[in-house]
Amino acid sequence: MTAVGEDPVKPRPGAVRGLFRSAGAALAALVGLIVSGCAADAELDTFVPQGPIAEELHSRAVVPVFAIAGVVFVGITVAMVWLIWRHRVKSHSDGDWPRQTHGHVPLEIGWTVGFLLTMAAVAVIMLVALPTVDGTEANAVAVDVDGREVMWEPTVVVVGNQWWWEFRYYLSDQVDLAALREIGDAQALPPADIVTSGQMVIPTGEEIELVVTARDVIHSFWIPALNGKRDAVPNRFSPWKIEASDPGVYFGQCTEFCGLSHSRMRMQVVALDPVDFQAWVDRTIQDAAVPADAAARRGMDTFAGICTSCHLVEGVNDETYAANGADQASGAAPNLTHFMSRTTFAGGFLNTYNPDGSLNRAELEAWLRNPDGMKANYTVPGEQFRGMPDLDLSEQQIDDLVAYLATLGRPPAGWVIEATEVLE
Amino acid sequence: MTVTADAPLELEAPPQPRYAERPLGVLTRPQGGRGWRDWLSTVDHKRIGIMYGTAAMFFFLVGGVEALLLRLQLAAPDGSVLGADVYNQVYTMHGVTMVFLFIMPLAAAFANYFIPLQIGARDVAFPRLNALSFWIWLSGAIFLNTAWIVGGGGADCGWFCYTPNSGVAFSPSHGVDFYAIGLQILGLASLISAINLIVTCLNMRAPGMTLMRMPVLTWMLLITQFLLLFALPVITVALFLLMFARLFGAPFFDPAAGADPLLWQHLFWIFGHPEVYIIILPAFGVVSEVIPTFSRKPLFGYEFMIFSGIAIGFMGWGVWAHHMFVSGIGPISVAAFSLSTMFIAVPTGVKILNWLATMWGGRLRFTVAMKFAVATVAMFTIGGLSGVTHSVAPADTQQTDTYYIVAHFHYVIFGGGVIGLFAGLYFWWPKVWGYMLDERLGNWNFWLMLIGFNLTFGPMHILGLQGMSRRIDTYAAGYGFELWNMVATVGAFLIALSMLVFMVNVWKSRRTAASRPAPGPDPWDARSLEWSIPSPVPEHNFDEVPVVRGRDEWWHRKYGIDDDGQVVRVATVEEAAQRGDAVGVHLPSPSFWPLAMAVGLPLIGYGLIFNLWLAVIGALIVIASLYSWAFEPVDDPDADHGHGHDEGHDGGGESGDGPGPDDAVGEVETAETDEPAAVGASEGQS
Repeated sequence: MTAVGEDPVKPRPGAVRGLFRSAGAALAALVGLIVSGCAADAELDTFVPQGPIAEELHSRAVVPVFAIAGVVFVGITVAMVWLIWRHRVKSHSDGDWPRQTHGHVPLEIGWTVGFLLTMAAVAVIMLVALPTVDGTEANAVAVDVDGREVMWEPTVVVVGNQWWWEFRYYLSDQVDLAALREIGDAQALPPADIVTSGQMVIPTGEEIELVVTARDVIHSFWIPALNGKRDAVPNRFSPWKIEASDPGVYFGQCTEFCGLSHSRMRMQVVALDPVDFQAWVDRTIQDAAVPADAAARRGMDTFAGICTSCHLVEGVNDETYAANGADQASGAAPNLTHFMSRTTFAGGFLNTYNPDGSLNRAELEAWLRNPDGMKANYTVPGEQFRGMPDLDLSEQQIDDLVAYLATLGRPPAGWVIEATEVLE
Repeated sequence: MTVTADAPLELEAPPQPRYAERPLGVLTRPQGGRGWRDWLSTVDHKRIGIMYGTAAMFFFLVGGVEALLLRLQLAAPDGSVLGADVYNQVYTMHGVTMVFLFIMPLAAAFANYFIPLQIGARDVAFPRLNALSFWIWLSGAIFLNTAWIVGGGGADCGWFCYTPNSGVAFSPSHGVDFYAIGLQILGLASLISAINLIVTCLNMRAPGMTLMRMPVLTWMLLITQFLLLFALPVITVALFLLMFARLFGAPFFDPAAGADPLLWQHLFWIFGHPEVYIIILPAFGVVSEVIPTFSRKPLFGYEFMIFSGIAIGFMGWGVWAHHMFVSGIGPISVAAFSLSTMFIAVPTGVKILNWLATMWGGRLRFTVAMKFAVATVAMFTIGGLSGVTHSVAPADTQQTDTYYIVAHFHYVIFGGGVIGLFAGLYFWWPKVWGYMLDERLGNWNFWLMLIGFNLTFGPMHILGLQGMSRRIDTYAAGYGFELWNMVATVGAFLIALSMLVFMVNVWKSRRTAASRPAPGPDPWDARSLEWSIPSPVPEHNFDEVPVVRGRDEWWHRKYGIDDDGQVVRVATVEEAAQRGDAVGVHLPSPSFWPLAMAVGLPLIGYGLIFNLWLAVIGALIVIASLYSWAFEPVDDPDADHGHGHDEGHDGGGESGDGPGPDDAVGEVETAETDEPAAVGASEGQS
């Protein structure tokens, strides 16, 4: 029978000092590894915040907890390597037995308390950082709406659909989180002044409140450079916020698995300075007009006959759209009134423009010819569509439709086209 | 009937037909033996453990092939190996297979095989229920995978299968139906097994084996069984609702009907988080046996280890919503679950330091088992610490649902769980099979797996922080994802290679076993009771139920401590070990009814999906089996109790369906008579 409570093994001070020295070196190596790993030109990189919210989140939460975890990791790993190096033997000979230590209660209480204190520090980090991402300090922004100045509580309603994002701006009749929760149905949202998809346009230097919801399944809205993510849950309306310091384009990708084409559900935030933002509002708040060009007019007729069962072009086919009702499981397809003002289509997956600023006719035609070939969709006849079905269009119809779509809205500035190019 | 080493009871068995006619039921009562049919009817915990282990390793290969397909698809941008649809099925089935069909049953294999041996029992409390658990699990596993053939594809909703995406409108193939029903069947198996093993641990311990003397593996497995007992009903409820929603249009998760999709998430993760500890605690138990043995020291801080395990088990119930930090559950809930998540790191950290303290000052002999065990501690430390980084909820909003999470849970589940169980495979292989695995090939296996593992999942940390979302079937070039994805794919194939080496090792070691010295009862100079009996373990386990006087009972039978605190040998292994030659030990009789009943369950599943008449047939099989089982005596009164063999696994285990000895230290000579099985035994003699 072994005696319990023999003298414990005492730490050797020299060994402990050496341990800390090695820990410092290994930590530096680890940080170097992470930094070099993230230094690529990665638009989604979480370690390159581009706005005050993401910066605070990074510096108040991510960096401190990585530092603590890194120190603990290095400490444990170095201790383990040292133990292996110090105590390994080739084989066990019969007489060679170490002291039979069964434990040392003060030591064990010591490291229990040590871990408790470490985690208490992590808890403080969390509690300090939590209001950074939750809770809002948005200021009203003066926006000119059809010559009338409104104080816009900068809110964008973000609606996830299979497999694209819709962004709704309520400028003249402001709809806030409470009102949306009262409605409680993402398929019955009140009409908005501006409805766009794939690209959210925001003014720089302002905290933008988001109300995140979904029409069909759960998605997740995430622009890593501007803030963490928030799930878009059907019929739940969750507050979130983003802010961009400088004009620019910030990339995102749906991060909650949402079915077949989850990987092709992408989004961007285009941050414009206040003057450009006002100009964008002025343009996109307009309805579309009936085109003059003959091909475009034929395209418009084709659109009214086929596309309006899902897509809306405001000012042209409001009535047929309302009459048809969407065949989509989500109850909606992208609003195309200002199609050309967006540089991506098909759920942020394809480029509307070539890098030189000309219309990306090839991909647009290919998409109309065979959407399923470009992006996996679920379009079984007789069932509700998820994604765009193959419409069996003739080449003439496709040419006409492209001519019509090219009349819808105006292209953004050249730098936006360049910066928003998505890599397919 | 008292059987002791001094006086083994010899019974001359009259020759009997191996399959005697029985008046009850359609099936004749099997008598035990060595043919394949005896595996179908066995109630021996060791054979059941072997079957669990073998089937689990098979599904490890299945899940591994799925993983390789995923890695091939993601090796380079715009992968075209799998389409989006197939990719979604394969990654879902990879997760489901690895969790439910590999690591849980492999842990169950260890639990079945070693809990009775470590507590000095002859079998589990309810041997036929044990067989039922295995057969139900196997039928559920097969059922789940038949979705590929008859269900129009595997489930395509991710292993946590969030609603409403898993609803029939968004996942119209039968894959999710197979998921919902298959996991219910698998859950039933685990639930039955959990009850059985809890009763075994609490009631079947040898005299003197108090709870605080139980080996740590048994303790961790016991905690695991309690987690299963409470977690599985929750997931079963969720799956039941999902099944009704899909098959019968019930609106439990339909937002249009007013349902809250987060209901599923709560139900799933109330199960899903304890599931993490269900996966990791058995590996912790293995590591806690292997490290002391090869350090030549007792486990440092046994009590702290046990109570940290219990603390993890308790606190594991209070952290589930950290999977939902970005679901929109509100800042109060987020803060509360963020805090509880942080503090579950404390008992986990204590365990890691106690393992290190066990190694401190020891004589560390790096056999393959020891290498795997130490690697488990190292890899789990990384997984645990990346877990700490996303316990901070704001930081988690940048990390969740990215490859950083994929890296994290693979470091926990593979780095902790799988590598830990591999330590167990190498450690206990000679005990189960009677031959050692080759150490040289084992080293290849270890290093390939460790390097492959780190190459596969290490880069995923970076990919996640670079913003790569999980569950995407392709990614575009130019986001900086190319290099690390390629590295991860190379790593995955190294893991596959390491598994190939493992299989070669098993094949080669088995082939050359005869030409090498037999391992004997105790090849590692180990500490717990399973090493006091021959390898492979005789069917009756113990000639004589051991009387336990302390922790590490077997070690103390070999060694003592002299007045200077030095270890001195008091007995050789040959002197101290049991010879395994007892004959006439009464063992419970095998039965076909567990298998018969398990066959009925998948029929009910197919029936619910395709044609209700099939469900009726399945239900009739289940009811008939239950009925016949109920009237089948625990012990076959006609059975031959004297078929003493000195070969290894030979049919049934031992003891009846009742409580065993309690904690009190019994006398050696009366130990056996404390067991209810002895009653049946004396009847058998008369």
